[in-house]
Amino acid sequence: MHAALIGQLTIDGLLVGGVYALSALGLNVIFGVMRIVNLAHGEFVIGAALLSAVLFERWHANLFVVLPLAFVLAFGLGALIQRAFLRRLPEDLASAEATSLLMTFGLSYFFVGAWLTFFSGNFRSVPYLTGAWTLGPFSIAQARLAAFVASGIIAVLLALLLRYTALGRSIRATSQNVQGALACGVDVERVRTLSFALGTAIAAASGCLLILIFTVNPETGANVTLASFAVIALGGLGNYAGTLVGAAVIGLAVSFTGYFATAQVAQAAPYVLFILVLLLRPAGILGKSGA
Amino acid sequence: MSAPLLEIENVSRAFGGVRALDGVDLRVNQGEILCIIGPNGAGKTTLFNIISGVMRPSSGDVRFQGESIVRWSPQRIAAAGIARTYQIARPFARLCVRDNVAVAALVHERTLERARRAAQDVLESVGLATLADRPAGSLTLTQRKRLEVARALALRPKLLLLDEVMAGLTPTEIDTMAAFIEQLRERGIAAIGGVEHVMRVVMRISDRIAVLDFGKKIADGTPAEIVADSRVGEAYFGTSLDDVGAAPPTKGHS
Amino acid sequence: MKGRTVIAFAIVAAVLALVPQFLNGYARSLLYITVLYVALAYAWNVISGYAGYLSFGQVTFFGLGAYTTAISVTRGNLPWWEGALLGGVISAALAVPLGYLMLRLRGAFFALGMLGLAQTLQVVANSWQLTGGGSGLFLPPGSNALPAYYWTLAIGLLTFAATLFIDRSAFGLRLQALREDEQVASTLGVQVTTTKVWAFVISAIVPGLLGGGYAWYLTYVEPVSAFATRFDLQAVAMTILGGIGTVWGPLIGGVLMSQVSEMLAAQYPQAYLMIFGGLVVVLLVFLPRGIAPAVSAALARHRARAAQGHR
Ligand SMILES: Nc1ncnc2c1ncn2[C@@H]1O[C@H](COP(=O)(O)OP(=O)(O)OP(=O)(O)O)[C@@H](O)[C@H]1O
Ligand SMILES: [Mg+2]
Repeated sequence: MHAALIGQLTIDGLLVGGVYALSALGLNVIFGVMRIVNLAHGEFVIGAALLSAVLFERWHANLFVVLPLAFVLAFGLGALIQRAFLRRLPEDLASAEATSLLMTFGLSYFFVGAWLTFFSGNFRSVPYLTGAWTLGPFSIAQARLAAFVASGIIAVLLALLLRYTALGRSIRATSQNVQGALACGVDVERVRTLSFALGTAIAAASGCLLILIFTVNPETGANVTLASFAVIALGGLGNYAGTLVGAAVIGLAVSFTGYFATAQVAQAAPYVLFILVLLLRPAGILGKSGA
Repeated sequence: MSAPLLEIENVSRAFGGVRALDGVDLRVNQGEILCIIGPNGAGKTTLFNIISGVMRPSSGDVRFQGESIVRWSPQRIAAAGIARTYQIARPFARLCVRDNVAVAALVHERTLERARRAAQDVLESVGLATLADRPAGSLTLTQRKRLEVARALALRPKLLLLDEVMAGLTPTEIDTMAAFIEQLRERGIAAIGGVEHVMRVVMRISDRIAVLDFGKKIADGTPAEIVADSRVGEAYFGTSLDDVGAAPPTKGHS
Repeated sequence: MKGRTVIAFAIVAAVLALVPQFLNGYARSLLYITVLYVALAYAWNVISGYAGYLSFGQVTFFGLGAYTTAISVTRGNLPWWEGALLGGVISAALAVPLGYLMLRLRGAFFALGMLGLAQTLQVVANSWQLTGGGSGLFLPPGSNALPAYYWTLAIGLLTFAATLFIDRSAFGLRLQALREDEQVASTLGVQVTTTKVWAFVISAIVPGLLGGGYAWYLTYVEPVSAFATRFDLQAVAMTILGGIGTVWGPLIGGVLMSQVSEMLAAQYPQAYLMIFGGLVVVLLVFLPRGIAPAVSAALARHRARAAQGHR
């Protein structure tokens, strides 16, 4: 095997990893604040991806239009779901986690059905930025690079928001300690809604970028959920730095298996890593081991 | 004299930089009531977690009836005769009170029916019998504390670990619980109580008192010795224990 | 009481065994589907309802059973029911190590671990020559429907009886205890790992056995239908509707919804997903405990009132 090929696959993998990282960040924001693991995450990613594909087919709408639009729509949808359903789950402590899991499981199928209805079951992609730059022996696909850069920008904006805005401070406070946040006068209910909305919107943004690279249909959402969870399993739930490492690993796994095996096997690769990591190191690669 | 029931030898446990326990040695004899006192965060709960097997020490050894149990699973430790309660009561919320206790009784009873009967007897002894059919999630704080004790007793332990069973109770309830703990001695059950407050009661019911401070054991002796130990008074209370005994800083005391 | 339960059980079994004689093909297929879905819901209810480990991938074992049967028949010339039994045995044998591994994961990670497992096996079935790849395997057609129905009925009745036993046994109490709080259960002497692995094995054996009947019934097996995650969605929705972690829940939910489920899935697959997914969401808000507890509460009230009337 050529060194050049390895280099090429590595570049491709790392660029895709950026998008996975963004998607996983969305999951992490929601988990941090709400302790809810959102099984419908992949459906939000895919919904936005398909929306941008359709808008591109119809009106050649480009990323600068589609991404903000998807972001805003998903934000509203997320807020609505939290207000209408998640917030109204019974406060039965012993089963709180189980009930929220069941609910997001139901939501995920609801949206698979909805996307099938809106977008049909066709596989779609966005033939936008199809060129590539050559860099020595490597070629860098414009679409991949754009997706990577855009993911990075959004992730940085998110970090700034968490660090410097009032909302960000409330989110961090609530993530650390709900009682403490309540005592400091944080409107925890509002923060939860905004966090779920924000997480959903980030998922949508990553969907708009993912479709620059991959071909998707409504039924691929579960794969995205699994890949995003694999990232988190590798990096440790709630660990933002770990998320980046996890995303790079998953990106590489997808890129290499996609080349050396079939596309189907490539889709199973994140899952296999997910299982291996969870079984070998339940706290994630960077997480602390022990009880 | 026979070997002690429980020997804790040089046990340490760190969480990141926090040394929750730092080289603690402790012995408990059969039927003895030992109270571990120490302020918030002293390491009492961590010690109970280690003895009951839900946590491993970073170093050190725990021996029960002469056998090292630090590598044992919690269920094996429970079956061997160490029962514990949780500081914040953790009932099986959707099971009825009787079944909460029956789970533990199943360690000794072969059928569910017999376990339920045994559970009912234990509930009588802690005064929860009339609530046996209620879901445990509907109990009040006081009742939950009693349920914790009932479940632990249903294991027919040789050693009972009571993590703050008196916290949050009214003075009358504290006296009831204290009387109950004193009965254990007659039944030959040893007990380790973790206590932050309620010094008046501790002085009365303890055979021995150990003082934990920032994970270190700073004193260990009879109540009289502890009262006489000036280090304890200063390190822990910033005052003499006689004063504390006279005016107990009891939670929920009006 | 015990005797009456057995008699009632025998009568229901006899009726369900005789009923197909009086039905046409279409009605028979509806009956088969209902029994199948109720049995699958009961299997899911053990690991997820009683033990509290939500699995969204028990269809793994269903697909495994279906493929084992198809391979045994087409490549091994075994009678189909031997293949189906083998499917159950393989599922159980796999569920033991898998249970030890997977049940170390908690909450979402267990749920996703199982979901991904089903998807991974689907990929395997799709790519492997032994399983016929994407086009699957075809079984000899003939009068397969009735034998498949009896097979499914027998397993369904056994599963129901097992649930009845679990609900009243020490094993069931231990399962519920570890569902409520696993650490507390362990410090009260419950052998948590063994207990939950047993529950997992029961929840694997049943779909493993049912899968073979399904393969024989359809006369073919292919990756998408054998590992269809909708079977899990369905088990979840039906069990929640009836009452999760209860004896009667899967039966109530399954009987109420099997017909709708089958009709929708066949004719309006998109609407099917939206309705069943949406139903899970709405039920969790408005009827999280399901029908069975509501009914038994009403019955208890009725009995109490009757007792008072007598006094
Ligand atoms: N699981 C854990 N992870 C991290 N730190 C912990 C953990 N458990 C305990 N600690 C820390 O160890 C120290 C001792 O805690 P522990 O709960 O044992 O004290 P305690 O004496 O029981 O106090 P309290 O009166 O609050 O019950 C504290 O600083 C606590 O923050
Ligand atoms: Mg404590």
